[in-house]
Amino acid sequence: MKIKNNALNVLFRPIWRDNPINIQMLGICSALAVTVQLKTALVMALSMTFVISCSGFMISLIRKQIPKNIRIIVELSIISTFVILTDEFLRAYFYDISKQLSVFVGLIITNCIVMGRAESFALSNPPHLAFIDGVGNGIGYGSVLLSVAFIRELLGAGKCFGMQVVPDYLYSMGYEDAGFMLLAPAAFIIIGLLVWLQKVLTKGSP
Amino acid sequence: MSDQMKTIVFAFVLCLVCSTLLTAASTRLQPLQAKNIQTDRKKNILMAISLIDSNRKYKNNEIDRLYNENIYKYFIDQTGTIIDLTTPSDTTREDLLPVYLAMDNTKKIRSYIIPVESRGLWGKIYGYLALKDDGATIIGFAVYKHSETPGLGGEIENRWFQKNFVGKKIVDQNNDFMSISIAKGRAADQVSGEKLPNYVDGISGATLTGQYLTRGLSEILSEYEPASIRFRQNILQCRMQSEVPWCENEN
Repeated sequence: MKIKNNALNVLFRPIWRDNPINIQMLGICSALAVTVQLKTALVMALSMTFVISCSGFMISLIRKQIPKNIRIIVELSIISTFVILTDEFLRAYFYDISKQLSVFVGLIITNCIVMGRAESFALSNPPHLAFIDGVGNGIGYGSVLLSVAFIRELLGAGKCFGMQVVPDYLYSMGYEDAGFMLLAPAAFIIIGLLVWLQKVLTKGSP
Repeated sequence: MSDQMKTIVFAFVLCLVCSTLLTAASTRLQPLQAKNIQTDRKKNILMAISLIDSNRKYKNNEIDRLYNENIYKYFIDQTGTIIDLTTPSDTTREDLLPVYLAMDNTKKIRSYIIPVESRGLWGKIYGYLALKDDGATIIGFAVYKHSETPGLGGEIENRWFQKNFVGKKIVDQNNDFMSISIAKGRAADQVSGEKLPNYVDGISGATLTGQYLTRGLSEILSEYEPASIRFRQNILQCRMQSEVPWCENEN
């Protein structure tokens, strides 16, 4: 029973209380870049979840064998292997999306969240927990990405997952999409507001 | 085993496992990726002649069908003669330039499409420029590969920028060759009325991308100028290995 509780805790902690973007302020760069549309944000979130959880699992599996002096390089090799696999897969099956995501899938390698989880969690916990921790962090990262993308796509293009949601009569009444929302600074502001919101909701207690 | 030895062996095994995995994945997915890239190019050719709507999603076989029905790939030599390369001896000729012809169902040429390969700010820009059969009017421009800054020069891949090319001319008022230029900012603010057909609106914050693309387009259009002249004068001469009806001279 205790183990299960622990696993649940590992899963949910990074989603809200320890959210990688809102609380730890990691991975902001990609969050600015891929959140213009919900579709790219979703694919990015899934790729990220896959990479964090699988690399966490693998690193944890061989954590007792990894020589301490080449620890970081070993982690990076494993992470980059998974990132390249993801990139190749997207290129083969989701070419349009991979074109839109361009370099950002490749840049998951440098995302601090992945490295951070490998160093601080996978190296000192058993594989199944490392995997769950990866899923949790992926969801935590993805939920922020999707919220930001939802706001940006809705206000910036009047769409939701590429479908028109702002009715035509509003446009004919003079409503205009806020082009600013499509630019990177808008994402910065929205993330800032989300951080504020979460801090208010949790009353600043960690 | 000493610690040092253990480290080296570990690193070696890890590299071996990772590279085997990556090689396997890359080999297995290569054909699919190659197909995607090819389809994407076909899609961009079709987009340049507005045969497909950029907002709609097309299936791969739909694009293949549209492409096969409408687009024919030929080559032109330095005199502007259109050549059909079916004999292998010709494929080694270096003076030949590829050209795509869009034909209607009576096999008459509607437009010709020039592959664009231009220098950009950070890397090469690849795309297609489609011209009407009058040899003077641009009917579309599409970019399928570039490495410009996303949000600035990267906007060249977006429809709003590419739409600016539609209806512009590659000739001046006397019907002489004059390449298309990307203005710095709005074209109307920069040049006067009679030159306006040769200028498209630029992207703010991406002046250099515009400059490189202007230069690149000018070089490419000059290379294809012999063919464009023939289109302008309506004297298409074709040297075809395989007989196709449209090949007859119109003069």
